[in-house]
Amino acid sequence: MTRPTKLRRPAVCPPSRPRVTRLAVPAGYEFFDHTADLGVRVHAPDLAGLVAPATQALYAAIGELKSRRPGRRRRFELAGSDPAGLLRDFLAELLLIFERDQEILLDPEVRRFDDRTLVVEGRLSPLDPETSILDREVKAITYHGLEVRQDHGQWQATFIVDI
Amino acid sequence: MADNFTGPIERIDGCRWRIPKSYKPGMRVDGLIYADDRLIESIKGDRSPEQVANVACLPGIVGYSLAMPDIHWGYGFCIGGVAATDPEAGGVISPGGVGYDINCGVRLIRTDLSLADAQPRVERLVNQLFRDVPCGVGQCGRIKFKKPDLSRLMEEGSSFVVRQGLGWDEDIQVTEAGGNIKGARPDFVSDHAYERGAAQCGTLGSGNHFLEVQVVDRVDDASVAAALGLEQGRITIMIHSGSRGLGYQVCEDALKELKDVPQRYGIDLPDRQLVCAPVRSPEGERYLGAMRAAANYAWCNRQIMTHLAREAFARVFEQPAERLGMRLVYDVAHNIAKMEPYEVGGRQSELCVHRKGATRAFPPGHHELPAKYQAVGQPVLVPGDMGRFSYVLVGRPGSMEHTFGSSCHGAGRRMSRSAAIRASKGRSIKRELADRGVIARARGRTGLEEEQPDAYKDVQDVVGVLHEAGISHKVARLRPIGVIKG
Repeated sequence: MTRPTKLRRPAVCPPSRPRVTRLAVPAGYEFFDHTADLGVRVHAPDLAGLVAPATQALYAAIGELKSRRPGRRRRFELAGSDPAGLLRDFLAELLLIFERDQEILLDPEVRRFDDRTLVVEGRLSPLDPETSILDREVKAITYHGLEVRQDHGQWQATFIVDI
Repeated sequence: MADNFTGPIERIDGCRWRIPKSYKPGMRVDGLIYADDRLIESIKGDRSPEQVANVACLPGIVGYSLAMPDIHWGYGFCIGGVAATDPEAGGVISPGGVGYDINCGVRLIRTDLSLADAQPRVERLVNQLFRDVPCGVGQCGRIKFKKPDLSRLMEEGSSFVVRQGLGWDEDIQVTEAGGNIKGARPDFVSDHAYERGAAQCGTLGSGNHFLEVQVVDRVDDASVAAALGLEQGRITIMIHSGSRGLGYQVCEDALKELKDVPQRYGIDLPDRQLVCAPVRSPEGERYLGAMRAAANYAWCNRQIMTHLAREAFARVFEQPAERLGMRLVYDVAHNIAKMEPYEVGGRQSELCVHRKGATRAFPPGHHELPAKYQAVGQPVLVPGDMGRFSYVLVGRPGSMEHTFGSSCHGAGRRMSRSAAIRASKGRSIKRELADRGVIARARGRTGLEEEQPDAYKDVQDVVGVLHEAGISHKVARLRPIGVIKG
């Protein structure tokens, strides 16, 4: 088995910069080894609970992403045929937004998540280039090893990001 | 499922290993891995041989499902995989056989500078390159292309940016396919891909992409090296990058669009990352058109960075790039699918050759080579790692007989990114590189750690196998003295 690895996590927000809106300290995910890329395993007590840590894991794979402004509300509505594909498509959309608009999603709230539909609301906020640290470019959220499953009452999602 | 491969791998000779098609139902051809006794043991350590077997299940595949010695685990296809399919026999095109970074590739620029000329200014040079060549996450190119220009760039390839003064006419002659793969369809590229690519042309990216200042450390074949403009002790520049966000999005779009296509055509696949469409189908043609457009973008990307590197050299050495002899040796793609003619079963066929982490390696006399390389063969550029060596090879006739004109593309990873970070604990990779005579600059905090030399196989082992097998021939070894990374 591959050994979970903790990559660097966001540091505590310095008190001298009170205006900075930060992502919460990541929880509910871990990175695991993949030869050239990065594996992500997310866990939560319910299916909907996977979305927030998966979002945080995506951003943590890129670096320490911070925003100065509260951002604008945005609703994501995705249709598909299985929860794993829906979660992947949602993360792929966040990646596109990050790269195209330099915005990150804060406080994602899941309105609906089942086999066919994922609805998430949150605040899209501009990345603060002054305080953010960008480590890696994530090319894509791959389908390789993509999985969402329930095990002993816990939900787990696995995906691999192409670096 | 075990992390290592436990299926059958039969030794053919000192360079080749077979996975028989009896290994799993659905395999249409054998798998064939190029490796020596030592490399094959490390190759069995992940599931990349399983991916070789899976690719052997693709409709219309001919010959073998091939893997080069730098094989490692990828998505659907292994990295280092080569597969040729025959459209006349229902052959398919699979985006997984190209990868997210369409036309990721390498180019090499030679100079008249000697190591003695360069040594006193290397640090200044590396700093200048680090300032001038945008690298790392979120860095924009010097030119932001509007959609109509981006469309023309993808249709015309390198010549479009050369005409804007971002290169020399002769650069085009020594770029694979003249920097313009025919049949590009920018109109098949999504708006999202345009948006991702608009500001990124002329940027390095991150991950394993790099720009290196190197010295020709050893010449293995003096006459071929001379034909390529290489000489012991001379400075070279190697650039490794691809089609940036535009190419990633083209692949992303294709994987979604083709998701249900195999079922539509009655294609049974062992791995959904191998989604594909018949080459001769509207879906297949759509992906090929978009993929070719992204490939042309990638050639422009490397061309613009060549221009920026020339400017940086000119500034540091206070001479125009022309006077420094900064001629492009060659530019090769190593993530691409191309239609190429081969003889199969006694007849000439136009095959769709997927190279996923594999480099074209045409031999002397091939009609696609520029006149200046007709006698020596196509330069094959094989980056190693930033602490040891890279290689220049040339294609040999064996490549046409055995590997659909293909060779390896790099050293191949042997350590995951996380493992590389763990192995760096308590060390300074930057200082270790400096001790080896390599000045390194990186934007990300973990870039040097993840890409440290120990994370890769020794490229000398990899190229040695293909030299022995008569696929490609060693010409020169290049040693890094400066590197910039995202």
